Amino acid sequence: MARVLLKDLTKTFNKVQAVKGINLEIRDQEFMVLVGPSGCGKTTALRMIAGLEESSSGEISIDERVVNDVSPKDRDIAMVFQNYALYPHMTVYDNMSFGLKLKREPSGKPWPMNAKRTYTKEEIDRRVQQAAEILGLKPLLQRKPKELSGGQRQRVALGRAIVRHPKVFLMDEPLSNLDAKLRVQTRAELIKLHRRLGITTVYVTHDQVEAMTMGDRIAVMSNGLIQQVDKPLTLYNHPTNLFVATFIGSPSMNVFTVTLSESDGAVYADAGAFKVALKAEQARMIR
Amino acid sequence: MHSRNRLTLSGGIRYVILVAYLVVVVFPLIWVFYTSAKNTQQIYNQPFALPEIITHPSAKSLEILQTNYHRAWSDNHFGLYFLNSIKVVSISLFGILLLGSMAAYVLARFEFRGRNFIYYLFLSGLLIPMQLILIPLFFQYSSMSEFLTRAFAPLARLLGKGELTVSLHDSHEGLILIYIAASLPFTVFTLTAFLRTLPSEMREAAQIDGASEYKIFFSVMMPLAKPGLVTVAIFNFLGLWNEYLFGLVFLNSNSLKTLPLGLASIGMQAQYKSDYGLLFAGLVIVMIPTLAVYSFLQEKLTRGITVGAIKG
Repeated sequence: MARVLLKDLTKTFNKVQAVKGINLEIRDQEFMVLVGPSGCGKTTALRMIAGLEESSSGEISIDERVVNDVSPKDRDIAMVFQNYALYPHMTVYDNMSFGLKLKREPSGKPWPMNAKRTYTKEEIDRRVQQAAEILGLKPLLQRKPKELSGGQRQRVALGRAIVRHPKVFLMDEPLSNLDAKLRVQTRAELIKLHRRLGITTVYVTHDQVEAMTMGDRIAVMSNGLIQQVDKPLTLYNHPTNLFVATFIGSPSMNVFTVTLSESDGAVYADAGAFKVALKAEQARMIR
Repeated sequence: MHSRNRLTLSGGIRYVILVAYLVVVVFPLIWVFYTSAKNTQQIYNQPFALPEIITHPSAKSLEILQTNYHRAWSDNHFGLYFLNSIKVVSISLFGILLLGSMAAYVLARFEFRGRNFIYYLFLSGLLIPMQLILIPLFFQYSSMSEFLTRAFAPLARLLGKGELTVSLHDSHEGLILIYIAASLPFTVFTLTAFLRTLPSEMREAAQIDGASEYKIFFSVMMPLAKPGLVTVAIFNFLGLWNEYLFGLVFLNSNSLKTLPLGLASIGMQAQYKSDYGLLFAGLVIVMIPTLAVYSFLQEKLTRGITVGAIKG
């Protein structure tokens, strides 16, 4: 249960500013989608939340704790990578339990016994079995990644994330390597999984259909800036600027250049081929 | 029909060339193997003939074979040299692979100031001919030994060991140090290139899973780097197992000699006694581990381990 807060976050790579100061509140249990064209800085933003990339300036907090200087493992997050990044030499079971086996906490004893395992073998096994149950991986636990199909690998990557019971899920285009049919199916499963677990999720995609169907709210990004954050339909019906208007919707919204004129107290927009009278409210805004 | 004929023709030529190549490469090996079952007289009479143990098997022909190997293994201390070689080469290989892979991993995966400098420093090691550093190294070992003797003197007195003399000359430790240092440039160069091809997400996934850098290195990156490590291990093994020059210069005691030195000493005796049966038996003893290591590791080499790691 956690809220993620980004304050004036920037990232500069060798003089190129990838993220130019973003402010974003991801509410507790929310499914937030970051969407935008390639190179808009959405993945960089996600990697900064994960701690894989250091922010150039700004503040990241997870569950009211500023985590700028906290290492990835201590941020209580789990990440699903675009190419899954499973450990190829380990079985599915070992892939999922790797992180749990490594988790240590202070034991109060002197060095070198000053850390003990957080989870017992039984606890680890219980969690792995539970996650395998949810994702339908039970028959595959002893297989290696190379013996799995793309969809199965994807579920193992998800399983590795959920066994940790993290505060936040970070997903970097997790569906982009699946075929069209499987993608739609997994999309539905991800939404169900999110409803079931209720874990705050940040989901990066360049696919606006994915964004519109999955997100509780969507942050549309372009050129390293957030253009608009809103619920899917609000975004669709009331885009704040031209970029959002043309990016969201398929086929995309038509845009015309018009000349405004006023006669008889009404405002007209003249596109050349046609001419429409604006509503009174719109006319007032323009005046 | 026409094209089919042409195909068979070109295929036939290919086979002829390959078979010729096979004969050129494999025949000398086989020749060494079966010649080791002949005595010097037989070798002189008919150098390429098969030994009696194959043509007319008898107790006498078996005895020739046994004599050759027995004289090599026991009388000429090949048993001892064999153990020395195993010790020196395996410890060297362990050091090379450990240090080389660690250095290569850091050079391949981390960004820091001076990285390229260190990388090129390793590479420049490839440009230096080993013969060139032989004599300076010899003198450097002398002064290093002196320095170490002085440095450890107080400790030796404290422990009641009296006079302790550290010498890097005429010791396996000294030779191992040279072998490790001399092999690192090639090892680091090869492994850096290999490690750069591994997906970086693997390290990031492990980082999020809470693995320390050492844990990531040993549990995640090293298993992935197995094909690269095997390649490097084979090349270094072949080089070190047959290494002669440094062994000759830095080892004097007979009891410390490695196999190539032993083989050379038979060769030198052969100038006066011409015992070719013995020489060939020695050659076989030197060759067998090489063949074994190669055929054992070669299979692992071809198996790609990153299959299934990422979508590809």
